[in-house]
Amino acid sequence: MSIRFDSIKEGDLLPPLAGQEITQLQLIKYAGASGDFNPIHTIPANAREAGLDGTIAHGMLVMGILGRMISDWAGVKNVVKYGVSFKALTRPGDILCAKGTVKRAYIQDGKKLIDCAVCVEDAKGEVKVEGKVTVTAE
Amino acid sequence: MAIDLSCKGREIARYTFEVDRSKIRELCAAIGDPNPIFTNPEAAQKEGYADTPAPLTFSTVITFGGCPGIWDLISAMGIDIKRLLHAKEEYEYLAPIYPGDKLDCLITVEALRGGAMEMAAFKTTCARGGETVLVSRMTIIVPPAAK
Repeated sequence: MSIRFDSIKEGDLLPPLAGQEITQLQLIKYAGASGDFNPIHTIPANAREAGLDGTIAHGMLVMGILGRMISDWAGVKNVVKYGVSFKALTRPGDILCAKGTVKRAYIQDGKKLIDCAVCVEDAKGEVKVEGKVTVTAE
Repeated sequence: MAIDLSCKGREIARYTFEVDRSKIRELCAAIGDPNPIFTNPEAAQKEGYADTPAPLTFSTVITFGGCPGIWDLISAMGIDIKRLLHAKEEYEYLAPIYPGDKLDCLITVEALRGGAMEMAAFKTTCARGGETVLVSRMTIIVPPAAK
């Protein structure tokens, strides 16, 4: 799977990934899968000790959901760079939507490249992570 | 506790991580990514991959799986890990990562800032047989303690 360079123009929207509900069970699975066992993600009492009102999602889980949208669109082997900033906490029950917009399509060193702005928002439109991805096209 | 600015440029960990097919499967299951290229070698080969590739955020597994003492190492630099926030995470992908890959990983301290809002940036380079396949950068900040 890959993107056809000629079919892309600035302002195009990437196919969004909506309806991603975060659950406590998912945070437990993500802790085991990633090896990040910081208990603020899995044990409510530890989260409260850290000054939170309950567990919060791993930022990397949210980046992973956004990564799924990107690899669904471009193919994992075509992603050159992917980076995000973490903007707001995500809690169990939040329903996330991953989105993206084409910012620039250009040729550099003979490679057809596409830069996109990407983000994850909750149902209220609060931005959880935002960043940039560069993919190669054919 | 204050950040030890002399750590800038220092190597904090060097390790080898072997990529396990089941960790790719487990990470995709936790993220909720059902794409069969991550779990089924035949589906992956149809899409032009040698085997089931690692997903875009697999770097986390390489860090915590290969270097489970990472938080102790960061703590030893004078960083209060109870207060730290993950500010940024960035990747450069140079080649797909596959099950069975033995990755030589090196974590260095790329940038440090002291003061009221401490900051630290860590760079991890993963190489397979001498060829760099992934460069990861993690930036953390430590906001002032609540008064």
